[in-house]
Amino acid sequence: MAGELLLARAAAQAALATEGVYSMGRGRYVEAATYEGSEKVSGVVVNPEEVEIHIVARYPLPKPIPEIARSIMERVAPQAGDRRTVVVVEDLEVTAT
Amino acid sequence: MRVFNRIVVILLLAGLFVLGVYAVVYSLNLFGYRLGDLPRALGLSGLYGGLQTFVGNAEDGSLSVLAVIILVSIAVVGLILLIAELKPPTPRLVRMHSGTYITRGTVADEVVEAAEQTPGVLGTSSRVKARRRPGAQVDLEARVRRGEDNSAIQSDLRRSVRERLAQRGVPVSKLNVRLREVDPRQARTRVQ
Repeated sequence: MAGELLLARAAAQAALATEGVYSMGRGRYVEAATYEGSEKVSGVVVNPEEVEIHIVARYPLPKPIPEIARSIMERVAPQAGDRRTVVVVEDLEVTAT
Repeated sequence: MRVFNRIVVILLLAGLFVLGVYAVVYSLNLFGYRLGDLPRALGLSGLYGGLQTFVGNAEDGSLSVLAVIILVSIAVVGLILLIAELKPPTPRLVRMHSGTYITRGTVADEVVEAAEQTPGVLGTSSRVKARRRPGAQVDLEARVRRGEDNSAIQSDLRRSVRERLAQRGVPVSKLNVRLREVDPRQARTRVQ
C-alpha cells in the first residue's frame, strides 16, 4: 500500500512536469485519488493492474492530446513497472498565451 | 439496469424479511400463532388449488388464451432482462487510443466551440457518446436562420468539427449533424 502511494505521488509529479498538463483532474463520476491512512494523492488511481492518471490539459494545446498522453506514459513508465498506464483527459483549461 | 436491479433486490429482500418474521413468530408459537396455521394465514390453500388447476390444464393442453399470453409475456420479459444484463455497460469515457481517454464533456465543449465559429450557425448543442472502440459518436444540432443554404452549412460544420477534433487528437467514429431552422430573435446569436 505504501508503495502505491509513493507511485501515485511520483506519477502525479511526472504528469505535472509534462508540457501541456495544466493540473491533475479530480475524477468526473467518482473521485480519482489514491489513499493511505490520512494521506491522499488526487488525480492518480493506482491498483495492481494499472496506474490511471487524470489530467486537465492546458489550452491552447502545445501538441495533440495523444502526444501529451504518450509523454506522460513515458515519464511514468519507469515507476509503474508492470502496471499499465492509462491517461484520462478530464478537461481543457484555457490559459493566456 | 443498475437501478432496476436494485429495486428488484430491495423488493425481494423485503419479501424475504416479512416471510422470515412470519416463520419465526409461527415456529416459536409466539402470540398464540402456531406453525400449523401458517398455510391458512397465508392463503396457501387457494394458491395450491389454482396451481393444481393450472398444471392440470397445461397437461391437457387446454390453457386459456390469457394464460398463454401471460406465459409468453413472462418469457419475453425474461429474455429482454437477460440480454440487458449480459450487455456490457456503455463506457463513460471516450477512448482516444491505447491507454488514453477523454471525458465526453470535454469533447462536447470542443464540438460546440468549433460549430459556433461556422458561418451561418446561430447556436448549437451537442451530445457525445463513448464507444467501446476508439472514437466518439457526436450528435450535433445546429440552429440556423430560415432560407440559408443548409447543405453548405452542414458540410462546413462537418469539416470544422472534424478538423478541430483531429487537431486535438480526438478520433470521431460517427458525426451526426442536424440543422434546425429558427427565428434569429429566439437564438442566442442573431448574426453570424
